[in-house]
This record gives sequence, C-alpha cells and structure tokens, in this order.
Amino acid sequence: MQRSLPLKRRVYPTLTFTVGALVLCVVLAVSLGSINIPVLTTLSALFKGITGQARDGLEVIVWDVRFPRVLMGMLVGGCLAMSGATYQGLFRNPLADPYLMGVASGASLGATIGLVMGVPNAWLPALALGSSLLSVALILTLSAQGKVLKTTNLILTGVVVGSLSTAISTYLMLNHKDDVRQVFFWTLGNLAFASWQNIQTMLPYLLLGGLFLQSLARPLNTLQLGEPTAYSLGVPVDRLKWLLIVASSLVTAVAVSYVGIIGFVGLIAPHIMRRLVGSHYPVLIPMSALLGGVLLVVADLLARTLIRPSELPVGIVMTVVGGIFFLYLLRKNA
Amino acid sequence: MKRFVFSAMLLLGSAFATQYPLTIKDDLGNTVVIKKEPMRIISMLPSNTETLCALGACDRLIGRDDYSNFPKSVEKVQAFGGLYNPNVEGMIAAKPDLVIASKYGKLSERLQQAGIPVIAVNPETYQDIFRKTTLLGKVLNKESQAKALNIKVQAEVKKYEILAKTVKTPKVYFEIDPTPYSIGPNSFMGVILTKAGAQNIIPAELGDFPKISPELVIEKNPQVMLGLSLADAQKRPGWSSIDAVKNKKVIEIPWELNEMLGRPGPRIGEALKGLVKLLHPELAKK
Repeated sequence: MQRSLPLKRRVYPTLTFTVGALVLCVVLAVSLGSINIPVLTTLSALFKGITGQARDGLEVIVWDVRFPRVLMGMLVGGCLAMSGATYQGLFRNPLADPYLMGVASGASLGATIGLVMGVPNAWLPALALGSSLLSVALILTLSAQGKVLKTTNLILTGVVVGSLSTAISTYLMLNHKDDVRQVFFWTLGNLAFASWQNIQTMLPYLLLGGLFLQSLARPLNTLQLGEPTAYSLGVPVDRLKWLLIVASSLVTAVAVSYVGIIGFVGLIAPHIMRRLVGSHYPVLIPMSALLGGVLLVVADLLARTLIRPSELPVGIVMTVVGGIFFLYLLRKNA
Repeated sequence: MKRFVFSAMLLLGSAFATQYPLTIKDDLGNTVVIKKEPMRIISMLPSNTETLCALGACDRLIGRDDYSNFPKSVEKVQAFGGLYNPNVEGMIAAKPDLVIASKYGKLSERLQQAGIPVIAVNPETYQDIFRKTTLLGKVLNKESQAKALNIKVQAEVKKYEILAKTVKTPKVYFEIDPTPYSIGPNSFMGVILTKAGAQNIIPAELGDFPKISPELVIEKNPQVMLGLSLADAQKRPGWSSIDAVKNKKVIEIPWELNEMLGRPGPRIGEALKGLVKLLHPELAKK
C-alpha cells in the first residue's frame, strides 16, 4: 500500500491552474484599487522597490501600500486554508475550521483589552497573538485527561472557552463605547494597513508552522482511517494530535494577529481542493494554501474596489462571496 | 374679522409661551403629545443634554446618560446607562415627565410601553443643530431662549468662519477612527471642518462618515492631517510620502475639543474656534 488515501489524477492540471490564477490575481490586485494604476507605473514601482530607489506618487501606492497588502492577503489566506485542512483532518469533521479552538475569540479578547486600555495600535498584534495562544493552551489543559486528548472533549471545551472570551470582550466593549468600532472592525478582518514590516515579522512563524504542518501530513493521512487503526499502524496518535493543534493554532494566531478575523477561507479552500485533488494530505495541505491565497487576494480586491474609494472589511466580502460560491458547489454536487 | 383677531392673538400668545398639550413628531416619526410643561426630564444624549442646559433648563434634569458631562453640574445628576445598556427600570422608577432619547437603540419603544412620555431627538446634520434646539425650546416652553441661543451660536460660527476665510485653506484629511474612518463634507463635522478653513479631501459622494482606503489619502496628498498622531501616520505603509507627514503637520485633536466636535450641540461654535486654532495657528490670537 503506497498511499493511505486516494490521490486523484488531476493534481498537476489543478496545480498549474491554481498557480496561474494566483499570479493573475496578484497582478490584478496590484494594479486595481481605489485608483487604477497603469502597468508601466506598476513595473517601475516594482523595479524601484526591489532595488531600493526612491519612489513617488503612484509608485508609493504600488510598492508601499498595495504590494504588501496583496502579499499579506496571500500569506494569511494560505495559512488559514492550511490550518483549515489540518483541523478538518484532525477532527475528521468537514466543518472544522481554524477558529474552532478558540483562536479567534482569544485573539479578539486580547485586542479588545488592548483597545480599551488605550495600548498603542502597534502592540495590538502582539496582544492578540499572546491571548489567542493562551486560550488555546487553556483549552488544551482543560480538555486533556492525562496525556490523552479526546476529540469531543476538545471541541466542547473550545466552544465553551470561546464563548466565555466573547462574553468578556462584549462586556468590555459595552463599557467603552468609543472603542467599539475599532474592535468590531478588527473582528471583520482588515488588510488595509499591511506593511512590509508586518510581513517580515510574521513570515518566520508562518514558514516554520507551515513546514511543520507539512511534515505532519503523512501521519494525518493515517489518522483518517480512525484512531484505533492509526494506533495499530504505529502512529503515536495522542502526540500527533497535540503537535497538529499547536502548529495550526500558532499559524492561525499569527495570521489573525495582524489582520483580524477572516472567516470562511479556512473552511472552503480545503473543501474545494479536496474535490479536485482528493484527500491525500501531503498534497491537500499545500494546494489548499495556494487556493486560500487566491481566495483572499480576490476577496480583498473586491473589498477595495466594489465601493471605491471607500472600502469594505475583507471578512464580509470573503464570507458573502465565498459563501455563495460554496453553496453553489454543494448544490451542484448534491 | 373676529376670527382673524382671535387667531392673531393665539399666534401672538404662542410666541411667548408654548401651549400644552403640545403635539410633536419626533425623529422616529412618532407623534407624541406632551400634556404639560415637562419639569422632570431625563436626557439620554450628550448633545441634547448640552442644549437643554444652554436653554436654562438644567435644573429640570433628573437623569442623564453615562456620557453627558457638560456642563459640569450635570455630572451630579443620576446616570442611567448608555445607548446599548440603558437602565430602563431605573428610569421608570425615577418618574420623569419626559425622556429625551436617541432614535437608535430601543429605549423609546420600551419607555412608551411603560407609559413614560418619550421623544427621540437626534441632531445629525449641521442644520439639525438649530432645528433641534428650536424643537427642544418648544417642548420645554423655552422658545425665546431657543431663538436667542440659535442666534448666539450662529453668530459665533460666523465669526470664526469669516476669520478662517482670511487665510489660505489647506487640503485636510480628518480621521475619526484609525480603521480608517473619515468625515464627508456634508456631515455636520465636515461642515465645521470646511468652515474652519480647510479643503476636505473626502469626496461628498462617499457619504457622511465613510470607511476609506488608505491609498486615497496618499493619492489626495493632504497638507494637514487631523485626528491622529505623527508617529501613527509615519508608521502606516506609504504615508510618509504624504506632504502633511513630511512637513510634520499631523495634529492630534485635544480630548476636550474632540468631544465638542463630536456633539452637534450649542458648543459647536466653540468647537469651530478650537479647530480654526489648530489649523491656522497664525490666527490663534484673534
């Protein structure tokens, strides 16, 4: 037996298509926005940016504002999709998504506390990251019985701790009316102020977490056969679960900490990919990441252009567009 | 002829005193009958509280919302929560003969059901400031005071508006929320900003309080930015190329001025004065 799960033949065409779509979307996303930027300006801005020359006017918009924003969308979308694929495999539940473990509500609580305490905006990502990791740690501690991690316990604990954090955030928001909007918009996701610096800071964590997840993909395949079977095949199931949760929560928390909460991409990207390439995790995880990147770049492009020069929160666009598309897929395949 | 004299007398009378019961239409579109001159009032919106006091009815206030803090004396009045967490039971127990509520939230409906007279009054545009003052004057039997207050505030506004016309008007970006939100020229804050001698970079078609794209600010290249700190502006990707940031003309709004600016009430002239001073320090002495 070579593979524990079926790998569909369509991997290479899908890969080519997805990479092509990603490139196309990136190019479109860099040149379209509150104002459309001519290709020449875009190219000269890219050249000047890479070589570190001074930029002016529209070139500033291309290199300093849009390009990091598009890259951030790609990275965040990719990370959320990767974690989504992992969670779905881990819980063997197609509805699992990166926020299930309370990452989102933990992060919101951290951001809310920061905002109502008047912490400088630059610190919010750190606070969000810290509090989301704390809440994951709390959930893991509360749900573990000895060294054994029971999946149902984990989900229940996650839901309860998540609701508790949401309740506390809501209470804080009610008592600090002036900050409500900021917190609220944070929970809708926002790529508007993504910068090169943000990308630099988050990239190492994401790469590390991503590679780690990828290295766990094969054992994750085995887990699909059911825990008893995985045990009997020699997979250290409990340790595997811990590692998977920690890695994917870290990746999600880093992504969330900069851009706020963007739902749905972690749910639908793996679903679509599973239909196209099958459930072989070493392939499914990176392919989901690619598609997640495409989806979020497109959603952000729409968020910036639908009512320009005003903007929509990207989380709303992601959910509406992604949701409609997802429903279409479900009906078509029903 | 008799009828004419009678109605003329009525008109004349009403110029001096409100006739109760008074029927008005409030901002929720409800027709409310106020049976007698209200003497025990709860005001649940800071701008209305300020107007009420400016009309000389501060002593009738038996309750306020959590955010009403001007004039200072209202801080001693009992607070009944905010828009999202009003203490309805407390209000009913306080037996007011009028609650001036916001049209947002569900307070109006709930008080009505409890039989408490309530009107929803929300000044939102610049003109609303004066319309609502007139309305409140009528409701409180303070019509002549309302007229005088409007004239006073309008004169104050005019004074600083004319003063600001004497200098060059820079292109200005005004941020009310770092997500980022700005103000359109037709909002009451936008009107005040223009009167303070500024060209608002936000196009009117975006609406009154639009969420804008950070790219738009770079493209419009404002000469002055209000409502955020220089350090914050420098940190935003690409913003250090904006003239206002280069020339360090990024001005945070002092807390008290910010509060005045956010309240479409009788201190709007004073708010305008503060804004003129921020934008044109050379006029500060006048």
